[in-house]
Amino acid sequence: MAEKIFTRNFHLTDSHTLARYKETGGYTALAKALTMEPAAITEEVKKANLRGLGGAAFPTGVKWGFIPKASTAPRYLVINADEGEPGTFKDRYLMERDPHALLEGMVIAARAIGSHQGFIYIRGEYVQPWRVLDAAVREAYAAGLLGKNIQGSGTDFDIVLHRGAGAYICGEETGLLSSLEGKKGWPKIKPPFPAVKGAFGNPTIVNNVETIMAVPHIINRGAEWFAGLGTKSQGGTRLYSVSGHVEKPGVVEAPVSVTLRQLIYEHCGGIRGGRKLKGVVPGGSSAAILTPDEIDIPMDADGPKSKGSMIGSAGVIVMDETVSIPEALMVVARFYAHESCGQCTPCRESTGWIYKMTRRIVEGKGRKEDLDTILDVARRGAGTTICAFYDGAVGPYISYIEKFRSEFEDLIRSESHA
Amino acid sequence: MSDARNPEFTPEQLAEVRRLQGLYPDRRGALLPVLHLAQDTFGHISLEVEEYVAGLFGMHAAHVHEVVTFYTLFFQKPKGRHVVSVCHNISCYLMNAKGIIQHLGERLGVEPGETTPDGRITFLTVECLCACEQAPMMQVDDRYEGNLTNEKVDRILDGLR
Amino acid sequence: MPKLTVNGKTIEVPEGTNLIEAAKVAGVEVPHYCYHPALSIAGQCRLCMVDIEKLPRPQIACNTQAAEGMVVETETPRVKDTRRSMMEFHLINHPLDCPVCDQAGECFLQIYYMKHGLYDPRMVDEKVHKPKAVPLGPHVILDAERCILCSRCVRYCDEVTHTGELGIFQRGDHSEIGLFPGKALENKYSGNVIDICPVGALTDRDFRFKVRVWYLDTAKSVCNGCARGCNIEVHTNKHRSHHNEGRRVARLKPRFNPDVNKWWICDAGRYGFRWIDDKSRLAQPMHRAGVQGAEVSWDRALQEVVALLGRYRPEEIGFLASPQMSNEDLWTLKRLADQLGVKNLDFQVPSAAPGDEDDFLIRADKNPNTRGAVLAGIAPEPGGLDAAGMLRAAGEKRLKLLWIFHHDLAASTWPEAQVLAALDGAETVIFQGTSANDASTRAHLVLPSAAYVEREGTFTNFQGRVQRFRTAVQPLGASWPDWMILSFVGKALGFQDPVFAAERAEQVFNALAGGAPPFAGMTYRAIGDAGAMVKA
Repeated sequence: MAEKIFTRNFHLTDSHTLARYKETGGYTALAKALTMEPAAITEEVKKANLRGLGGAAFPTGVKWGFIPKASTAPRYLVINADEGEPGTFKDRYLMERDPHALLEGMVIAARAIGSHQGFIYIRGEYVQPWRVLDAAVREAYAAGLLGKNIQGSGTDFDIVLHRGAGAYICGEETGLLSSLEGKKGWPKIKPPFPAVKGAFGNPTIVNNVETIMAVPHIINRGAEWFAGLGTKSQGGTRLYSVSGHVEKPGVVEAPVSVTLRQLIYEHCGGIRGGRKLKGVVPGGSSAAILTPDEIDIPMDADGPKSKGSMIGSAGVIVMDETVSIPEALMVVARFYAHESCGQCTPCRESTGWIYKMTRRIVEGKGRKEDLDTILDVARRGAGTTICAFYDGAVGPYISYIEKFRSEFEDLIRSESHA
Repeated sequence: MSDARNPEFTPEQLAEVRRLQGLYPDRRGALLPVLHLAQDTFGHISLEVEEYVAGLFGMHAAHVHEVVTFYTLFFQKPKGRHVVSVCHNISCYLMNAKGIIQHLGERLGVEPGETTPDGRITFLTVECLCACEQAPMMQVDDRYEGNLTNEKVDRILDGLR
Repeated sequence: MPKLTVNGKTIEVPEGTNLIEAAKVAGVEVPHYCYHPALSIAGQCRLCMVDIEKLPRPQIACNTQAAEGMVVETETPRVKDTRRSMMEFHLINHPLDCPVCDQAGECFLQIYYMKHGLYDPRMVDEKVHKPKAVPLGPHVILDAERCILCSRCVRYCDEVTHTGELGIFQRGDHSEIGLFPGKALENKYSGNVIDICPVGALTDRDFRFKVRVWYLDTAKSVCNGCARGCNIEVHTNKHRSHHNEGRRVARLKPRFNPDVNKWWICDAGRYGFRWIDDKSRLAQPMHRAGVQGAEVSWDRALQEVVALLGRYRPEEIGFLASPQMSNEDLWTLKRLADQLGVKNLDFQVPSAAPGDEDDFLIRADKNPNTRGAVLAGIAPEPGGLDAAGMLRAAGEKRLKLLWIFHHDLAASTWPEAQVLAALDGAETVIFQGTSANDASTRAHLVLPSAAYVEREGTFTNFQGRVQRFRTAVQPLGASWPDWMILSFVGKALGFQDPVFAAERAEQVFNALAGGAPPFAGMTYRAIGDAGAMVKA
């Protein structure tokens, strides 16, 4: 039975309280980290092969090292709790059931990067998780685990809990920072990168909720242990959000070596009603769709990549044989058109246009040029935008059409126009 | 009488605004929290509320308007006593969100984006709320309601005054 | 100073130079929309992509700093294809308004499409519709459909005028430039957004539908609205007189000068040209015998001037010059006064107009050449009368000949009764100027001046910068440059000073440079397009 790290407290009553968290060993990692050198903490996290679990899978320890050593400006640790990738819900569970693990991880990470100010940016729709987090923060302050002179260590760390107001683009690292600054969630042009010039112009590290929650375990049980749980490309376990046409949708914790097939058929009961798998998205809606013959891959940072997709947020969306792929693409295209921030031209103009074309195809008014137009426009825009949002849209645009082209063509043929 | 037409925070609220502004290296960081406070207080964010808030931050009103029109949780027109937001994104779509939306539309007698004439419910379709394991689902005011069926929807609506 | 290569050409640029500016140094144009040297970097249009050695993807040039050893290519097949892609993205929702859009002919969607696009459009779906023909303020009108959301106007109002009227509302392809509902774009520099808007989204209400830009000629000049002397271009319509009711000057545009006005001009200056083609312009010399004026020839008018100057003693003559006159005009007048022995010479008439001034461009002194008048010595000689003195003396009939240049005395702070008394009291009033006013209607002899756009010359701004203005259109009717009128008078009086034989403004300027130490050594060529400072 694989080890449970992130979900170890989920089944406990009042798992969100400080008392319960301490009962199961909470805040012992912090005590240990407070005796470590900041550089040593970062080194452990690097050796643990922890990769960002929000979507980009960037090596976390490496990211922490990007703050310029010579900088004397205040550094910020910002937690990306703006979970928004369709098909993903694991951060919601983590914040509602184990908020103190996030706080403990934050204080340790803050020590590693020399930060005394943390922000948690939580999406505005997550009202209940926000209330739970808020209570946990108050408990932590009352117990001297946050604020001045934490546990008598001489370290200060404050946390500001900040609610978003409804925009998927605020899950993009620098879009989040713009929103934190009280502006529209427009991603920032890079360079400079956040570690150099981030929130309010100061060096900033942005990490996902789940990523930071791995840190106390790495400190307590060592980098080698964590790395050994996973694969060569990524250490540890992680949470997979599985939804769609499975018998048992939900959060699954597994080592990153777990295969997509295992997730669907062993952990989630297989396709509902005994039907057949048609397609599955492995990493949230921005990941390219995979066909049934492509699911024997480890769900780590490299597995889905080997099939032209990505692990992203590990949001697994399962589609069975009843699904109309063109209609599914229309739904996804509508999402990207709605969430485009509008800042840069290729994304702003073509997400709306491509949605119109997919809708027209679904409504039976598709033209034979439309599919190649969508593919060509998507390819021309990929890699040209301020942020990776558009590349996330391109994932489904291209993969749904290329892998299920005949289904699209049938819709276009069935009502043929001149 | 302070409302969206003549917005005015109480002294306690103004103290809270100042406290929030002090939490951020640049006080503008408190804009979203203060707009949430304003919406909770005045019901929605009218142009008068925008100008009032702009004054509290020393900002040009146009830039507050930019923020308010960008985010979906800020209502620029009066909303119903309850807000029912049904997800129509991919996982919920796979689990018959279309049917739930149609049913809600029939029960409420309004289209998505509209408020019932009696001011009880604003009915919206929204993008992913990240509760896909309970698809199809919707947000009713502050809470998530999932694993919806037409019957469950009816029961929930009946509980909304 | 990093050394880098652009399209094979090696150049050296200051640290911190972005690649658009560096390419300019190499003589290479990198197409762009949202970048503007006066504004913060937006990086939104994505058109300025260039290839940089060792980097896998093209990079935006505006946000990339030149680095030592960098190798930049702007014309690779990949860059060209990227530009073609960006042109298509920009035109997806753009309305086909060219036939009715003022920007046609100077529109950067047109220009770049012809250079970098040339693809067959394939957008057949309904385009996004937004508000059209929305007046934003007294001078600017918005068409939100045409807007490419480059955000230059928003950044301008934030970073240059600090008035923050404009914003980009909503998101995605419904994003829209606009004002806070109910407010207006009313700052004193609002017209500049028209210049920086690359497309026909923000256009000029005054210029709207008047004449197509490809019919316009252009001349470099200097605004005469205040003592700053913002550099301008005068755009004239000489070929289509049936447009714009025959007005010759169609519009003014600011011209870049890093030391005077950078890229900008105030609205008062931008729109301060209507008088040039107004009906009140004086076009013929006039002799006022009785109530109606009678037009006379220049020969006749000059004969009369000479006779008048001979009739009176120097102490009975007063020259009321104007800081609207050019350096050349003033120097010729000064020489004439000296030769005649006229000591009553001044230019300072107190203005009743609100002398608004700010810390940007606007100066309280609404005259272009006050400094020039001072430096040319337009002041009473010892024992002579200043302007107020001349006014009083005329009223008391001690001053017999009052020669007024340009001034609208009714617009001064001098009491109306005193002005009327002076105009009635003087035996002879000569009015020389561009436009009819109270004083000109009471003058005995009216001499029409050519407007500054109708001739060439120089003004000296408040900083001491001498700037050239050049001929944009021919003088209206029989109007002549002031210096020319005065030099004919001097020649007719038999004075030998070579300035009275001048046939070109440059010759007068050379005389000025030879005679007034602050201008020593200056030439038109050295002044060029950017101006030159007088010696302190």
